[in-house]
Amino acid sequence: MQVDKDLCIGCGRCVLYCPVQAISMSDDGRHAVIDQDECVECGACRRSPACKTGALYQPELTYPRIVRSILSDPLTIAPESGITGRGTEEMKTNDVTARFKRGYAGVAVEVGRPLLGARLKDVEKIAMAVARFGVEFEKINPTTSLMADPKTGKFKDELLGEKVLSAIIEFAVPLSKLEAVLYTLERVSHEVESVFSVDVCSRCNPDGSIPHEEILAKGNWWYSINAKTNVGLGRPLAQE
Amino acid sequence: MTHTLHRLGSWNDLAGDYVFLMMPSKGINVEGSGEKLRTFLKIALAHNPVSIGDARKGNAYYQGGIDNLLANVEDQAVVHAVFDNKETVVEMLKELVKADLGLSVVVSGITSEVHEACRAAGLERHTVEHSLGRWGRTDKLPPREILEITNMCGHSMVPAQLVYKMIEEIRAGRRTAQAAAEELAKPCMCGIFNTKRAARLLAALATNL
Repeated sequence: MQVDKDLCIGCGRCVLYCPVQAISMSDDGRHAVIDQDECVECGACRRSPACKTGALYQPELTYPRIVRSILSDPLTIAPESGITGRGTEEMKTNDVTARFKRGYAGVAVEVGRPLLGARLKDVEKIAMAVARFGVEFEKINPTTSLMADPKTGKFKDELLGEKVLSAIIEFAVPLSKLEAVLYTLERVSHEVESVFSVDVCSRCNPDGSIPHEEILAKGNWWYSINAKTNVGLGRPLAQE
Repeated sequence: MTHTLHRLGSWNDLAGDYVFLMMPSKGINVEGSGEKLRTFLKIALAHNPVSIGDARKGNAYYQGGIDNLLANVEDQAVVHAVFDNKETVVEMLKELVKADLGLSVVVSGITSEVHEACRAAGLERHTVEHSLGRWGRTDKLPPREILEITNMCGHSMVPAQLVYKMIEEIRAGRRTAQAAAEELAKPCMCGIFNTKRAARLLAALATNL
């Protein structure tokens, strides 16, 4: 995102609307300045009610910078998934896809969330740590497309310095390996510069209980009192 | 995985925060889904939602009103509705069972409350996803009471500094808590920011922070 200095009246309202605080005022206070290294190209400032003079404008983005927009602007449609946002259908359509089968846990690590954003070198660090378990990263997740080698989690070198609002590392593991994966994530959490949010899902047992919940409870892993529940209304139901 | 999941709050607070999502699946039931998604939103509107939204085209504010939002729903959209009580969750689920739209529905909220709501509507939950919280450099994050508000936009479009500004404006008498909550909802493109809950939290912060 850029500021047209001729149109900017220096009101400073756009500073309030930047999720990663990449906007500040010039030394003389006459116009806004966007730190291009910190800007994640999410478009929030331009869509916001902040600028009354149309001084914020979006130049055409080229590779590799365009990955910032793909992983940060919630209205960008990722070609891999066909949907907006940074993720995939994941458990939201598990009733019709059976993406996460009985005996498996779906795991997502959203790096940069909440609020801080992340450099892709942090995302690579986490992806390489969990790749050692032989996981297959979700192919249609736009984050997987940024990897040079999805088997090792190595990212394309030219992308490592790019900053995004968040990138989601998504994979399934056998429930028997879930706790080992969590220990690995805990270890790598001390090696990154940003934050990441972790979630785990699984197909419910016939009695309605949640397989991963027992593992989390026994291992004393913190998990939320709230959750996402796929209520099974999709049709046709996936054959299991 | 996933924008409605990582909402933070106490039990009492989250008891007023339930998000419904409906979406088709690529290659399975996308064709003709636009009309079904619109039907879902109309059912939601009949149940006094806090908000409705369309993740593909943007929230009602961005699209210039609810009529535009409804008119612009396309196949392969992901639509939402936010409610503030469990009783309405049960009623919504019953209506959706009756409507038999055939698209996947996800409800975010207190796990056991949603489970009870499913059973009351004659449904057995299919797949459940939990948040394991925030890891890494959490020392860089704003305090929890601010995250309780910002996290209601799962795409991190609601900045912490805007929340602080709104608290300041409430204190100064320049905005009501409800108006401040509505301002914070504008950047949340999916329309899942719960303004009613946010107004409650902002009012408390304006008094206590």
